[in-house]
Amino acid sequence: MRPIETRYARSGDVRIAYQVVGQGSFDLVFVPGFISNLDLHWEDEGYSRLLKRLSAFSRLILFDKRGTGLSDRIDTHHLPGLETRMDDVRAVMDAAGSGRAALLGASEGAPMAMLFAATYPERTRALVLYGGYAHFHKWVMPPERLDAFIEMTETAWGTGATLPHFAPGRVDDPRFATWWGRFERLSASPTAAAALARMNAAVDVRGVLAAIGAPTLLIHRRNDARVDPDASRFLARKIANARLVEVPGRDHPIWTGDVDRVADLTEEFLTGRHAVAEVERVLAALLVTRIYDTARLGDRMWSERSQRFLETWRLLVGRHGGRTAGTHGEMMISRFDGPARAIRCAAALRDAAKGIGVASAQGMHVGEIESRGPPTGLTARVTMQLAAHAARGDILASRLVADLATGSGLHFADAGRITLDELGEPLATVLATSEQHLEPACHSRIKATEPAALTARESEVVSLIADGKSNAAIAAELRLSEHTVKRHVANILLKLDLPSRAAAAAFSARHTGPDGP
Amino acid sequence: MPPKTQPVNGAAIKNAIEGRDGKMLASFYADDALVRVIDRNNPPSKPREIRGRAAISTFWDDICSRAMTHKVDTTIADGDNLAFTQACAYPDGTKVFCAAMLELKDGQIARQTVVQAWDE
Repeated sequence: MRPIETRYARSGDVRIAYQVVGQGSFDLVFVPGFISNLDLHWEDEGYSRLLKRLSAFSRLILFDKRGTGLSDRIDTHHLPGLETRMDDVRAVMDAAGSGRAALLGASEGAPMAMLFAATYPERTRALVLYGGYAHFHKWVMPPERLDAFIEMTETAWGTGATLPHFAPGRVDDPRFATWWGRFERLSASPTAAAALARMNAAVDVRGVLAAIGAPTLLIHRRNDARVDPDASRFLARKIANARLVEVPGRDHPIWTGDVDRVADLTEEFLTGRHAVAEVERVLAALLVTRIYDTARLGDRMWSERSQRFLETWRLLVGRHGGRTAGTHGEMMISRFDGPARAIRCAAALRDAAKGIGVASAQGMHVGEIESRGPPTGLTARVTMQLAAHAARGDILASRLVADLATGSGLHFADAGRITLDELGEPLATVLATSEQHLEPACHSRIKATEPAALTARESEVVSLIADGKSNAAIAAELRLSEHTVKRHVANILLKLDLPSRAAAAAFSARHTGPDGP
Repeated sequence: MPPKTQPVNGAAIKNAIEGRDGKMLASFYADDALVRVIDRNNPPSKPREIRGRAAISTFWDDICSRAMTHKVDTTIADGDNLAFTQACAYPDGTKVFCAAMLELKDGQIARQTVVQAWDE
């Protein structure tokens, strides 16, 4: 696939950066809000998901408004009016060869899209306005709060400090918070950000609403943290051909929260067809972490420590390149792109739990999950059952995890098979035994000199070896195939780090206690 | 029924497409015509279906509103069946190629299947 090309349209003396993606039969121009950066959008999961959804049914035209992202900067002493900025939409459409397009205006992009629709009705196929408003001070913030916001942009711009004002639901997501800081820095300088805020504060398009004839869909999140939903209710009353859909949620940016809901509504409105619920499945490594032995701690101590552990969990999962995917009762679910990262995270969590004064028990599995929403389905249920089976401090994984982590320098010990209700045959499991070795190429493994590391079946096999029995005899006695016995013997030697059957027999003799080896 | 200014044939279709005349194109279709589009986003088992002259008219208006070039190269007619190929280009050079099969009924397009591919 060709990389997405960024081009520049000329709007008067100003160059406006734009991208065109998709091959749908009609054009859709996305008019972004406060700040944007065409290159950076594709790096955020929610943003790129939104753009992919929209470009699946349209030819999607994206641009950075003047003063933001990849477009030319503005003279902060002579701020352009909304009309001038709106004309950038026309310039981009001309450059992209778009005679007529549907416009999706998000947040501050909405008034610009409305002004465009009123000015160029023949070029407006339809309007979708998400989290929009006609008058800034009435529905976004009054002048005194704007002053405080501008002061913050002067002092803390680029740190991600504005995130709580836009997406309070994401402030605990360290990866997104970091991305937001970059988003601020790469979208505008502090001076430009303050200037943009002032320009947006001057927005009042109430006078043009009656001139909008294009079919219009209004989408607003009920508890929007930035723009009062009354703003869209007002638009619904004033725009002739408008329909308002209020959706749940409080995060304001269109690419946060339930992105698919917004994309579904937009697709249905613009194509006249129900968006087919696309079930996209991706391969993921799931880690389920629980606090072991919860009864031992008193309620209050439990509550304090579990809270601390939960915070640590969020931090460590992010640090290991994973994503927290919610909690299910006392199970904390996280997902990773690969098993090695998940195991390293699990090991870090085990240590962190000890530091906090709790014990962990963790399960890990690899399988396909739906890319939408929190992991559910078989892979998630198997992982949760593994976590439920895991003993104190253990990281119990399916054999598949160990097979996929080959070459990672991680070590595993066979942990037998576990029968799970939903699986036809018992699931082969392993225990992650050690963190990455300094020299992963070196064939070192932990000295599992305790017979307890053997499974019950392996213990039986060891004691039969000690009796001097051949594999064939052992197979007959345990009603197994000879091949299976061979595998058991190999595993035993591997686990105990012993060179031969004789050594295993000697080991068994040494360790025979009252309960046998 | 809109006034038919031209009979539907290969030459008329070529003129309308190359001249980006959406209204003329829409007038070629029967009221209950069906256009099926098969491409990367609309696989053969789930083609995009555009039913009726109103929807088809919107479809052609969308296509014709773009500043792109269209060239109809090969037209084959056989009784009530018509086929043509079409090479298109966006201003940025991106190319689209379509092959279309048409069934005519009473001198109008009753059914059309378009298979298209593009640079990416």
